[in-house]
Amino acid sequence: MIDMVLKSPLNDIHNELGAKFTEFAGFEMPMQFSSIKNEHLAVRKSVGLFDVSHMSNIWITGKDAEKLVSLTTVEDASKIGDGKSQYTAILREDGTVIDDTIFMHLGEKYMMIPNAGMSDEVTKWLNDKAEEYDLRATAEDVSKDYVILAIQGPKSREILQKLTDTDLKTVGFFGCQYADVAGVNCIISHTGYTGELGFELQITPPNLAKDVFHEILKAGKEFDIKPIGLGARDTLRLEKCFILAGNEFEGGKTPLEALMSWTINWDHDFIGKDALLKQKEQGDYQRLTYMECIDKGIPRHGCKVQKDGKEVGIVTSGTMSPCLNKGIAMAYVDPDYREKDTILEIIVRNKSVKAKVVKPPFVKKDWAQQN
Amino acid sequence: MSDEVRDDLKYTETHEWLKLDNNTAKVGITDHAQSELTDIVFVELPEVGKEVKKGEELCVVESVKSVSELYSPVSGRITKVNSGLEDSPETVNSSPYDDGWLVELEIKDKSEIDALIDAESYKKSL
Repeated sequence: MIDMVLKSPLNDIHNELGAKFTEFAGFEMPMQFSSIKNEHLAVRKSVGLFDVSHMSNIWITGKDAEKLVSLTTVEDASKIGDGKSQYTAILREDGTVIDDTIFMHLGEKYMMIPNAGMSDEVTKWLNDKAEEYDLRATAEDVSKDYVILAIQGPKSREILQKLTDTDLKTVGFFGCQYADVAGVNCIISHTGYTGELGFELQITPPNLAKDVFHEILKAGKEFDIKPIGLGARDTLRLEKCFILAGNEFEGGKTPLEALMSWTINWDHDFIGKDALLKQKEQGDYQRLTYMECIDKGIPRHGCKVQKDGKEVGIVTSGTMSPCLNKGIAMAYVDPDYREKDTILEIIVRNKSVKAKVVKPPFVKKDWAQQN
Repeated sequence: MSDEVRDDLKYTETHEWLKLDNNTAKVGITDHAQSELTDIVFVELPEVGKEVKKGEELCVVESVKSVSELYSPVSGRITKVNSGLEDSPETVNSSPYDDGWLVELEIKDKSEIDALIDAESYKKSL
């Protein structure tokens, strides 16, 4: 087989803007344009523009579309009205996460945004389950037809408002609707992966996205808008304790282990529910835990977590926090060792780095005002 | 992209530089390397007195996203480390050839110096 690396339809623009690229889930995407730290702080303090076209797009249509979404996610889709979107998880029968995703309710249809490289698996899963449960609904992978842009940061609304007649104040948190942005009709949602005020745009066909990208950069000039790569996307989400599927679900984790119980609507039937109920009852499982380093050192994916030399967990994501200037980590830790302020040791290159269990998120909402 | 190469230094293909001063030498990473890494946020320095062989790991330089090992261009004993970098690792970015030096070595075998590449060849390799 030929090893194919997919490129964003905006690849040329990224090149012109001086991007350094990385491969992520089969896509060549910008890692950084100027510096991860500068891009990170631009989003926290002002605004940044992301191309996240590596994410997947799936249309779910048919008479039973709502039922299929309810069956295959931990959300009861009947509770999510038209013009609303929801963050949720798709589970296997054993309760482990196939993927975390947002779905948007747009009229009769649902659009799901699974992670990069997940479109085939999720589309097949949805169609298989529709057949198995005799539902009249179809999932269609349209990832290649869409460019996804994310404009994130305290100034994002002000900038985007210059390019649309839709009053963005009426698009509530996790709201979604069709709107013209820079003359291009797209799906706009009040969502993001940075913990800041922000919007995401689904643009089709992809060739229309170049103009939108340029127009947003132009409109954002007064706020020194920056194009942002995947490097800062990762540090921004990590400071807010948002999950990255490839890291936090690696090896098969349940939403209970990943501290996603808040997304579960227990009042409906969904695939994986029985397994979760069983796990909930047993209670004795490792849970995602957030740690801030006291010693110098940067925890990374795969570092062991110890308490007095005994292994009690493993780091799934770690970095140097650009806002806090400290090492931060998310790790699966035994239930007895994850109370707030517990001191644990993270083993970085055979050295023990002391870290403290903290409450999420690492970077609080008012950080930009305080700094 | 900054790619300054200084004529008075010796280089390795793995982007370390070495500045010879009698029997000792300072070692750091090149301007090209710091520019590729960007945002150096942590430097792990070795213990003074430690013996290292040519090609062995000398120290570790971390950027936000990456962990890079620095290899010793020559064999020797570590006589000094730039401990100021523990508090301001970004100096490696701003001054890779001067204030951002990493380690000073007492050279064991001077003939190893001859195997290093000169500025001209290093420039060509970039």
